[in-house]
Amino acid sequence: MKRLLVVLLFGCLFMPVVARGQSASDLLDKGIHAYSVREYDGGAWLLRRALAIDGSTASPLAPADVARALMYLTAIEVARNQRDSALSAARRLIVIDPKFRPDENTFTPQVIALVQEARRSSPSVSIRAPGDTEIRPGADVFVVRLGSATAPEVTAAVTTADGRMVQKLYTGTIRDSVDLRWNGLDASGNAPAAGRYSIVVTPSSRDRSAGGARGSWTLRLPLELARPAIDTTPLPAAPPDSLFRPERGDYRSAWHALAPGLVAGAAVLVLPKIVASGEHASSARLIVGGTIAIAGVAAFFSHHPGRAIPENERFNRNLRENWKRNVTEIARRNADRVRQARLVIRPGAPSLTTGDTP
Amino acid sequence: MRRNFAVLLAAAAFLPGTLRGQGLRFTADAFGSQEIVQSHDGAALIPSFNRYTGLLLGGEGNLISERFVARLRYAQGRVTARSDTGVVGRDLVEGEALLGVRAMPWLTLWAGPTARAYTTTDGDQRWLLWTARASARGTLMPGRMQTYLELWGALSGNVANPAEKAGGRGADVGLEMRLGGEQSQLWGRLGYRIDSAHADGLRETVEAVTLSIVYGFPQ
Repeated sequence: MKRLLVVLLFGCLFMPVVARGQSASDLLDKGIHAYSVREYDGGAWLLRRALAIDGSTASPLAPADVARALMYLTAIEVARNQRDSALSAARRLIVIDPKFRPDENTFTPQVIALVQEARRSSPSVSIRAPGDTEIRPGADVFVVRLGSATAPEVTAAVTTADGRMVQKLYTGTIRDSVDLRWNGLDASGNAPAAGRYSIVVTPSSRDRSAGGARGSWTLRLPLELARPAIDTTPLPAAPPDSLFRPERGDYRSAWHALAPGLVAGAAVLVLPKIVASGEHASSARLIVGGTIAIAGVAAFFSHHPGRAIPENERFNRNLRENWKRNVTEIARRNADRVRQARLVIRPGAPSLTTGDTP
Repeated sequence: MRRNFAVLLAAAAFLPGTLRGQGLRFTADAFGSQEIVQSHDGAALIPSFNRYTGLLLGGEGNLISERFVARLRYAQGRVTARSDTGVVGRDLVEGEALLGVRAMPWLTLWAGPTARAYTTTDGDQRWLLWTARASARGTLMPGRMQTYLELWGALSGNVANPAEKAGGRGADVGLEMRLGGEQSQLWGRLGYRIDSAHADGLRETVEAVTLSIVYGFPQ
């Protein structure tokens, strides 16, 4: 008895791990086998597990196998007397493949009747997405096909996970089929951030006012958006204060301006005595020396405290504007790179919610 | 002649761009210089002193890199003595070729030869001095006005006719001002220069007040 308990305990611990390690088609086969031997609880678990595999851990089911899995899940839930769950599975089946016909030799009349009921009560709008798709936002398009035999009037949009609209894709009637084309940009022309989004299809207000289960429904195709890493240039730091020149004169800068003028002016007077002592220096040099000294005095007054120094103001303005221009240019190039980067769109399994969904 | 002119024109058009590509800049200037030459000759049988004045015209070019500077200067003209002295005038040619190192943003140290030649009735008299120099610049108004001061001394030298060893020293002081707006490449320069060269019994002192038009930011 103890030994049996230990085996069961190990089974409970490792069964989910083993199941996770299996491929979706293995799980589907085992689920179908469980249905055939009337192991309905285990079969439901296996089929739900097969349908839940989204490609991140193992290969997901092919579209035809998804339809098979949902058909068997419907049959199992009918057998388990779980009518709501059976109806929900049948509606998912109709969304994925509106033309699906259950095999009358395999399934009981109750199951076939329930599928018919689901077909009648569902809006009979199907959505078909390609596999993982890579597009350049703004340049390429991601195409999803809506199909319907009843020509409903619908609105389709890309929304965020919390329901905010990213981009409206279509408003109008589905006559047989309509291709929804999304260029990977939001309404303001920017590429959205990576994350979870959905394409949501709802009936237009006119169709909704028809009432009943067909009047209110939401068809949702989950999308996962991913972006490969983009190499962008960091924005340059603002110029440090040490690079800016004082924009108002002070005593220090005034003396700095005066000193070279006075030194050079005095040098003109003194140098003949140093360079050629004994010679009679020409008085023409006094014109040069005087001019330099006057220029020095003028420079002193142009720097006197509190007075604006237009050259420095211009220099600082240029410094700031150059920096801003660089920031703008680099930001623009980065935005271009982000815009040109590819967007990977991974569609998930579509789901349908109707007014009578529990 | 036309072909040479075209080549020169093309060189002038493309030189600034080519130099900028190499991280080099240049300045070029043309100047007129009023010179006063005081000439002592104590070696002659009768010692003499003459004073000449005259106008020299010339040009100067500087090639400037981050660290080094090269300068070529040439001027020529004629200086004459007062008419009542009866002394014959002289044709005068001056030139220098210098290499410099920018030791500080405001200080450049130079070395190179400077030469002066007089043509007189007794023949040519050539002075050649190898000099070391230091030049400093001070800003009066940034980007608009600056002063400069250059001092030099001869390391060695000689004079021909008569052949003697020679020495000398000199200075150059002036004011530079940008002409036109902030983007203008033209500068005006007013300078005072005094050189004194001496050999055994000879002494030549030259003072010059110079007005220049400079293309490019002088450094």
